[in-house]
Amino acid sequence: MTFGGFPPARQLLGDLGMVAEVASDSEARVRTRVTPHITAADGGVRAGVLATLVDIVGGAVAARVLQPDWMATADLTLQVVRPAVGPWVEARGTVLRRGRTTLVIEALVFEVTEDGSDLGGAHEGPTPVAWATMTFAVLKTKNPASSIQMASDFPIRWAFNGDGFDTSITDAVAMSVVDAAGGRVSLPVGEYVFNSFGAVQGGVIALLAEVAAAEALGAARGSGISMVVTDLQVSYLALGRVGPIVTRATVLDAGGEGSGSAVVELLDEGAGGRLTTVVNVGATPVGVPAAAVS
Amino acid sequence: MSDGLQDRTVDRRRHVSEYFRLERWEIPPAPGVDAPSELGGRAPVDAHQRGPGGGLRTGGLLTSVDSLGGFLCGLAVQPEWIVTTSMMATISQLKHRGPLRLHGRVLRRGRNSVVAGLDVVDEGNGDLPVAAATVACAVLDPGAMVLEFERPFTTPMVPLNPDAPAPEVFFCIEPGVGPVTRLELAGHLRNPWGILHGGAAAVLADVAACRAVQAEPARANGGVTGARVARAPERIREPTRKVAASDTVLHYLRPARVGPVEARCQVLGSRAGRAVVRVAIHDVGAEDRLVTLASVVVLDV
Repeated sequence: MTFGGFPPARQLLGDLGMVAEVASDSEARVRTRVTPHITAADGGVRAGVLATLVDIVGGAVAARVLQPDWMATADLTLQVVRPAVGPWVEARGTVLRRGRTTLVIEALVFEVTEDGSDLGGAHEGPTPVAWATMTFAVLKTKNPASSIQMASDFPIRWAFNGDGFDTSITDAVAMSVVDAAGGRVSLPVGEYVFNSFGAVQGGVIALLAEVAAAEALGAARGSGISMVVTDLQVSYLALGRVGPIVTRATVLDAGGEGSGSAVVELLDEGAGGRLTTVVNVGATPVGVPAAAVS
Repeated sequence: MSDGLQDRTVDRRRHVSEYFRLERWEIPPAPGVDAPSELGGRAPVDAHQRGPGGGLRTGGLLTSVDSLGGFLCGLAVQPEWIVTTSMMATISQLKHRGPLRLHGRVLRRGRNSVVAGLDVVDEGNGDLPVAAATVACAVLDPGAMVLEFERPFTTPMVPLNPDAPAPEVFFCIEPGVGPVTRLELAGHLRNPWGILHGGAAAVLADVAACRAVQAEPARANGGVTGARVARAPERIREPTRKVAASDTVLHYLRPARVGPVEARCQVLGSRAGRAVVRVAIHDVGAEDRLVTLASVVVLDV
């Protein structure tokens, strides 16, 4: 499925190999294979990748619910319950509320098999590895006739096809750490990370904030401790179109008693340093004896 | 309610924030600068409002964040007004000396919505960061509501009431059956629109999530539990596990007008003393509709 030429031939979602299914007017599923290229220091899928997954599933539901109107993600929250090790992870999105100007969607993320079947014993239901909520701003179409025409028969299935990664996802998007202690990370802007608006997609923004916070918190703790992000609260304020998108992080608590937290601001440097996003981040250390993480 | 609070003649603009004794002051932009005002606030940490984490319990902190953030957004859109649609808070300190100082600024003002960012520091502990929060509001026609303020706007901190009840009593919160916690929608818990105050929903989510985690079987530190909804229709036994609500997200989906209000919890999982709880708040008297969805991270303390 493409939306007015989106996604282009080589695009992040294709390299993630996302497989999508819209089951009804209010439910969708999107899954991706877990590989070492998308995991964090604890072996679980990066929070930013999970955010990308839930943003896509939310968008799939929203596009269906809102047609002929369109939408933009206004906020996204994600809580990682435990490391998501796969073999695949699947986000399942449902509508919580449709209002005149906003749509609120909830998504649970599960570990599944390649065909989307649940893992786990026969006597227990699947347990989520992460939980997310999203608010979408409704963008009224001026010309319904020009809107995207969607299939009417369920389920609707499609896949984003690509070559996969031969390096980490952060290298694939050409993210670079400028100053770890300050949480300064830079992302060049281009088609590979664009959404259907021609701006950096919300999941990549979350990934950038994840990396910035983990770097800043890790530097604040010192001693080679890696921080794994478990909580993301993303407020999208403006589109990041020009680039590079740069971050700055403020550490609230380096995690002396275990978990740490930081606030990351993202600015579109090429657009006069405009503030595009504010992200509150929670993280936990890895490589620390369990008794020290209480 | 047994203390007669519901019978008081209350100023709905202030009653809930006055319980937490929130002082607020507007910080206008510099002369000639076209920017919305910022807002400062200060809230003491009174003994009866401290939670198991040692500081102001998170629901109380979020009430002040909602009061300050909502008002800030409202000032930015006058003569229109706002209603809070979501609140996201990362809590970095559960122990507070107090008072807490808040500062809010408008991050984005759109045609239909306003977003504010707030920082909270522990003024009594060297301005140690306590929380960072984002409040999103929808812009509304205020209708007949009176919105006359002296500008720059200020409200002083009200004196401590030595007989002030504990938050559970003030917010009319009582244990329900199983993983359910109930709130009676008393008059003093309604905001100027006549609906459940966003802060009251935050306190309910805090109390309910902590109760749900306390009802979980004790796990060794580092253990993992899966999603569970207590199925047995029994009251949660006397808690022995000390927990406190931390990072919280609230989506205010619909107004709660009728009551009683029920918070239904699902512990999605836990590890290393950190549990993620889904709290669905329903207005039982309004065909049981879902009014607020919250995610609350509950920590062992």
